[in-house]
Amino acid sequence: MTPAFARRPGDASGTISAEPGTTDLAAPAGATSAAGTGREPAPPSGAVAPDAAVAPDAADGLDGPTAIGDAPAAGRGRRIVVAASRAVAIRVASALAVMLGAATVAFAALALLPGDPVSRLLGPMTTASPAVREQIREDYGFDRPLVAQYGHYLGQLARGRLGESYQLQQPVSALLRDSLWPTAQLALAALAFALLVSTAIAVSTAGRRPWLRAAVSLGEFTAVSVPPFWLGILLLTLLSFQFQIFPVAGADGILALVLPALTLALPIIGVLSQVLREGLERALREPFVVTARARGLSQTAVRARHALRHAALPLVTLTGWLTGNLLGGAVPVESVFGRPGVGSLVLAAVQDGDMPVVMAVVVLSALVFVVLSTVVDLVYVVVDPRLRTAAGVV
Amino acid sequence: MHRVGPVCRPVVLALVAAVLALAGCGGGSAAPSSSTPISGGSLTYAIDTAPTCFDPHVSGQDITAEIDRNVFDSLVSVDAKAQFHPWLATSWEAAPDLTSYTFHLRHDVTFTDGEPFDAAAVKANFDHIVAPTTKSRYAASLLGPYAGTELLDQYTAKVDFSRPFAPFLQAASTAYLGFYSPKALTVNADKLCAGGPANVGSGPFIFKSYTKNQSVVLTRNPAYRWAPETARHDGPAYLDTLTFRILPEDSVRVGALSSGQVDVARALPPVNVPAVSKDGDLRVMRAAVPGSVYSIYLNTGLAPFDDPRVRSAVQLGINIDQDVKTVYFGQYQRAWSPMSPSTPAYDTSLEKSWPYNPKRAGELLDEAGWTGRDGQGFRTRNGSRLTVVWPAPPREYVREQRDVLAQAIQQDLAKLGVEVTHPSFAIGEYTTQAYSGKFHMLDLAWARFDPDVLRLFFDSASGPPTGQNASFLRDTDVDSWLAAGAASLDPAVRADAYGKVQHKVVDVAAVVPMYVETAIIGSSRRVRDLALDPNTWTLFHDAWLDRA
Repeated sequence: MTPAFARRPGDASGTISAEPGTTDLAAPAGATSAAGTGREPAPPSGAVAPDAAVAPDAADGLDGPTAIGDAPAAGRGRRIVVAASRAVAIRVASALAVMLGAATVAFAALALLPGDPVSRLLGPMTTASPAVREQIREDYGFDRPLVAQYGHYLGQLARGRLGESYQLQQPVSALLRDSLWPTAQLALAALAFALLVSTAIAVSTAGRRPWLRAAVSLGEFTAVSVPPFWLGILLLTLLSFQFQIFPVAGADGILALVLPALTLALPIIGVLSQVLREGLERALREPFVVTARARGLSQTAVRARHALRHAALPLVTLTGWLTGNLLGGAVPVESVFGRPGVGSLVLAAVQDGDMPVVMAVVVLSALVFVVLSTVVDLVYVVVDPRLRTAAGVV
Repeated sequence: MHRVGPVCRPVVLALVAAVLALAGCGGGSAAPSSSTPISGGSLTYAIDTAPTCFDPHVSGQDITAEIDRNVFDSLVSVDAKAQFHPWLATSWEAAPDLTSYTFHLRHDVTFTDGEPFDAAAVKANFDHIVAPTTKSRYAASLLGPYAGTELLDQYTAKVDFSRPFAPFLQAASTAYLGFYSPKALTVNADKLCAGGPANVGSGPFIFKSYTKNQSVVLTRNPAYRWAPETARHDGPAYLDTLTFRILPEDSVRVGALSSGQVDVARALPPVNVPAVSKDGDLRVMRAAVPGSVYSIYLNTGLAPFDDPRVRSAVQLGINIDQDVKTVYFGQYQRAWSPMSPSTPAYDTSLEKSWPYNPKRAGELLDEAGWTGRDGQGFRTRNGSRLTVVWPAPPREYVREQRDVLAQAIQQDLAKLGVEVTHPSFAIGEYTTQAYSGKFHMLDLAWARFDPDVLRLFFDSASGPPTGQNASFLRDTDVDSWLAAGAASLDPAVRADAYGKVQHKVVDVAAVVPMYVETAIIGSSRRVRDLALDPNTWTLFHDAWLDRA
């Protein structure tokens, strides 16, 4: 990452001119190691570019293109377009490469499992006749060489065909379509919850009394280390079975979403609030804080309106980790709460040797990562004019 | 225990063990209630697994049959004494040599899409089951040597077999051989596995919807008036709606039941049974699952188990009583026969006939020449250790804490000087190696309300992968008894034939029966007349909800 990436030009929106743009984008050690624990394939290296979309001063950044547009030279505009489309093309190509890699790894991991694929598919408890076994082998192409199977799979994938589930005898696309929204609901609810709570915790505890910090830290570490599976059961026992507030049985509606989202969010809160607090404390040591205070802003106003922006930056680094956590965490959560979704779909598919479903979910996850990181990068290029300079566009 | 909240269902948080146990608060008596069934209301049944496929002609899963029983009717029904009763067939005759069965069908049955049920529907369904394109994993084997169905007239169907086939009536009573509307089979053949309104039958409930891994919703079939003779009432079901809620976590299912969020819960873990029994609002139903009990099959073709003395030593050297009691909190009974006591032709004379006898087991091993001991205390012969391989199935196939039971068995046998390795395999490798006879021990159970289940495990012709002869037993006596049992409907003849099989396979130590699987179902006391069929699957046609 170039140093230019680390600078945030629009930050000094008049009021805090004393602030040097020195926010360090390097994630805290804890965050970096956490990023490595994501279960999904790692995003391309560009994915950790600053997420301008979450920057509070995005509007300032958007002024940038206007300023450039004022430049008299028309050829320069063309050059920008060419360069930009080249950048987009490179990005799309690398996105495709990532997905191809994910598809290949998924295929290899499943195809190279020892044992007969038909036996794997049927499981141990079956009286399927040899004729049925042959029918399965023929229908799913297990009798063809691996290379041919792989080629066929990629060909289908390229045409957007995900195939049919071996076990459920339904098109994988239909299965995914039915599962995506419930998982998205769960993930978005958890994300909103995590951002809200961790921000509140960080703002209220950064640089405050040591005992308060210590107590909150203890809570955060506990949240990170408790297995989500067990946490879900604990929450259910307390809030559904004991105090019957959130139902588990009639799992529809917003009430039924609360406990699963909470289970998924708590470990994330544990990490986010630590990262945010550290960022806050670093920002609060900057000279601009003194300036702002000198201008009569209250302690809390400084935290919420100025320091928090800086503290939020390392969160961008965590986009990949966060996505992996939300997707991976959905597996145990959906299972404990008996919710429909991609997590429970893929869990069953892995257990039943349902290769088309597993591969579709892996490719889909790769797509989600690629799209997220690409969006983050592209938006940043649009928003931050200096990044174009750094990239040699102008 | 501390009480929180106004509801009299205190919960113990056993945090230390990181386990949650639910305890009822005792006391409390059932409210005075009505004795005549009330129509209406909806019932929620918490189940532990999601069906992979809802087509009973394809899937062999218990849960598929249990759910589908409400949607599909069968030709006959069977009671707990293995007597057959009319259902969709008013009467039937079997050919003297049992190579064909002629069914006289009811004239007034219609599927919920309006199609009539007739002999053509019987033929369409049975032909669908055996078609290779259906890829049936179980139902086709229930039809055995099926040769076709003849339509003698509109309401008379003759089902032919290529050899005598006594187990057919029992097979015909299961939901696996239940009937779809022929229209559903032709129009929606590709949607039957997915579950939903495409699964059209003639049963007391209509398949309304399935939300994957969450719930199955069935609604009452108001036109239903062809209940089997074994039912308590004719006419439509009492419940408006029947919902199956999929809750795979044991503690969640138990919690949902104790907190009244579900009315019935399947597969209660043995550890929770005492607490649920004590809860005044709840009731526990239990029944021994028929068929083949959970057993360990010893590979008679693989050294050192090719020596019957070594197999017998293993059979006598496992402290089954204590192991089963400890692991299952006294909720499951130990098994003496490879067949469950609730199966017809179960042989009671095997009980207590081969008790735990480590001394005799040791003598048998000495006789077989395993007299040496190595540094770790295991027996040796000519310098090689007495070691056997018992593969552990992948985690997702491990039920009922069988992994814990396996540890107890390993320890028992280690005391005897026999090393049992218990490596884990992925499912493909597990089955492939097991089928080729590479393992010494395999653990299996198979639910079926017919002694013909023994053929699956002990007939020479029932070798893997189609059969489950995991002992790789080749015994001409056993084969002929199994054939005799399958060729007779006479209970006395069957009892004799299958009794001999049970004795023989235990005598030659081809199998170590472990415990009788037991269906444990918890229900609210509001739920009345909920019945279990002989397979121990719930029957909701007669069930109703008491308002009290």
